[in-house]
Amino acid sequence: MPPVIEVHGLRKSYGDVERIHGIDFEVAGEEILGLLGTNGAGKTTTIEILEGYRSRNGGDVSVLGVDPAHPNRAWRNRIGLVLQECELSPRYTVRETLSMFSRYFESPTDVEAVVDLVGLVDKADDRVAQLSGGQKRRLDVGLGLVGDPELLFLDEPTTGLDPAARREMWEMIEGLRDAGKTVLLTTHYMDEADHLADRIIILRHGEIVAQGTSDELRDSLGDVTHIAFRVPADARLDLLGMEAEVSTHLDGALVRIPSKSVQADLGRVLHWADRQALDLADLEVVRPTLDDVFVELAEAPPEEARGQ
Amino acid sequence: MSDVSLAVAQTRYSVKGYLRDPSALVFTIIMPVVLLLLFNAIFHGNTLFDGIRVKSAAYYTASIIAYTIMLNGFGSLVIRITTDREAGQLKRPRGTPMPSWVYLFAEIGRSVVTIVVTSGVLLAVGALFYGVTVSGHMVVGLVVYVVVGLVVYVVVGTACFAALGLALARACRTTDSASAIGPFSTVVLAFLSGVFIPVAIMPAWLLDIGKVFPLEHLARGLQLAFLVPGSTGLTGTNLAVLVAWGVVGLLVAIRTFRWDPLAAGAG
Repeated sequence: MPPVIEVHGLRKSYGDVERIHGIDFEVAGEEILGLLGTNGAGKTTTIEILEGYRSRNGGDVSVLGVDPAHPNRAWRNRIGLVLQECELSPRYTVRETLSMFSRYFESPTDVEAVVDLVGLVDKADDRVAQLSGGQKRRLDVGLGLVGDPELLFLDEPTTGLDPAARREMWEMIEGLRDAGKTVLLTTHYMDEADHLADRIIILRHGEIVAQGTSDELRDSLGDVTHIAFRVPADARLDLLGMEAEVSTHLDGALVRIPSKSVQADLGRVLHWADRQALDLADLEVVRPTLDDVFVELAEAPPEEARGQ
Repeated sequence: MSDVSLAVAQTRYSVKGYLRDPSALVFTIIMPVVLLLLFNAIFHGNTLFDGIRVKSAAYYTASIIAYTIMLNGFGSLVIRITTDREAGQLKRPRGTPMPSWVYLFAEIGRSVVTIVVTSGVLLAVGALFYGVTVSGHMVVGLVVYVVVGLVVYVVVGTACFAALGLALARACRTTDSASAIGPFSTVVLAFLSGVFIPVAIMPAWLLDIGKVFPLEHLARGLQLAFLVPGSTGLTGTNLAVLVAWGVVGLLVAIRTFRWDPLAAGAG
């Protein structure tokens, strides 16, 4: 299966300032790709170029075989959009809004099925003005799905939602994977990308700084699994014979040992502790979380990021 | 679904939303009717028009219909388009297969519906309360002239003002500015064009300024049709000025119209 989205050397400038510095990536069919970055990283610019809303200054882009700089009606029939900000008219009901949008498409999904899918059955006859933020966002997603698209763009679908509404949105998006849709998702939440995306691209100041599955991203940080514990300040760490970061506090020393081979290293630590008759307080093995990956990769200042 | 039936469905949708907007209803239907009642109370009796004595009530019925065409075709269209654009409601359907013209057709179609309904109400009020009969005659042959004039002016006037509205929407960066500029220009032109004050008592130099703008020609044409027996009011000058303004508005709109919010930055 050829890639659904192909991007090569994509560049975009606003005035004299280049904001996207020649990025390359592909999205395969029936994949959920997460485009992750802080505000201003270029996520929305990138996704709006792919959606056919914005022009670009360089590079080759193909979405479902069409250059989005020249969108046509047949192509629009195959894609669904959920924009980052879209104020729907408050005067129509959920069902009316979805019905009107379904008429724009050649072969729309059944409106009632969409109402059900986005979990708004109880709200179908309520006006948009009466919906909560999370319900409005789900209606947005419904509008993206009502044309029965092959490819769905989701621009920050959970920004501003409370934790419960966010959970519900996640379940909905997971349902899309099962329905065989290809999804390009932007988010600035690492846990969201981790939870939903098959693959993640981390964008920083208009450049891709990392991409891969969440496991690959964790591994890319290298040997950063740590064994950590707390001992009295006078413990004989020299007898342990391992590289350790020690920070001394009033109630003792916090020890962090970077470990490539956790099982073997942990054995040595426990053996040492037995011989020293030490009680290892707060002993834990700390794997890097994706948040650490994200902080490491996505939040560096631009100078460092661009290698200048 | 064909594009034509889609455009009709979109227009119905647009009208439905409009009917659920009380402030728009007050602004576009109630206000012209209240103005008609007020002006008839203030300037009751007769006035001079084209050298003949005519009923003030007939004069104002024609004038307020002209005002309604500008108010709905231009003033409220500018506000709607700007509000929808800044809320992202113009951008959103652009990402669907819906052709862009369908949206504009529906918005202008909604203006036409409100103009026809309001004009009907104004005619009914004029007839019921003030005994306004079209052309002051009940002769069927003369009624035809008025109806022809009314229909042509509603169509040409709405087209002209809608084109100008689409052009002006680009200049309004925010809903607030549209809400000020739309009604403001409508009211000022209504004074300059002998819509609110009878031409008989207007200073000539003010009317000369008014003649530059389309409302004067729309109002004068409708007044002719209503007040002068056996006239459709369709003069070459009136129609030419309306068409010229409409074409200029359309050309500007085509070149400058924006679908995405002007206030949006890069993300």
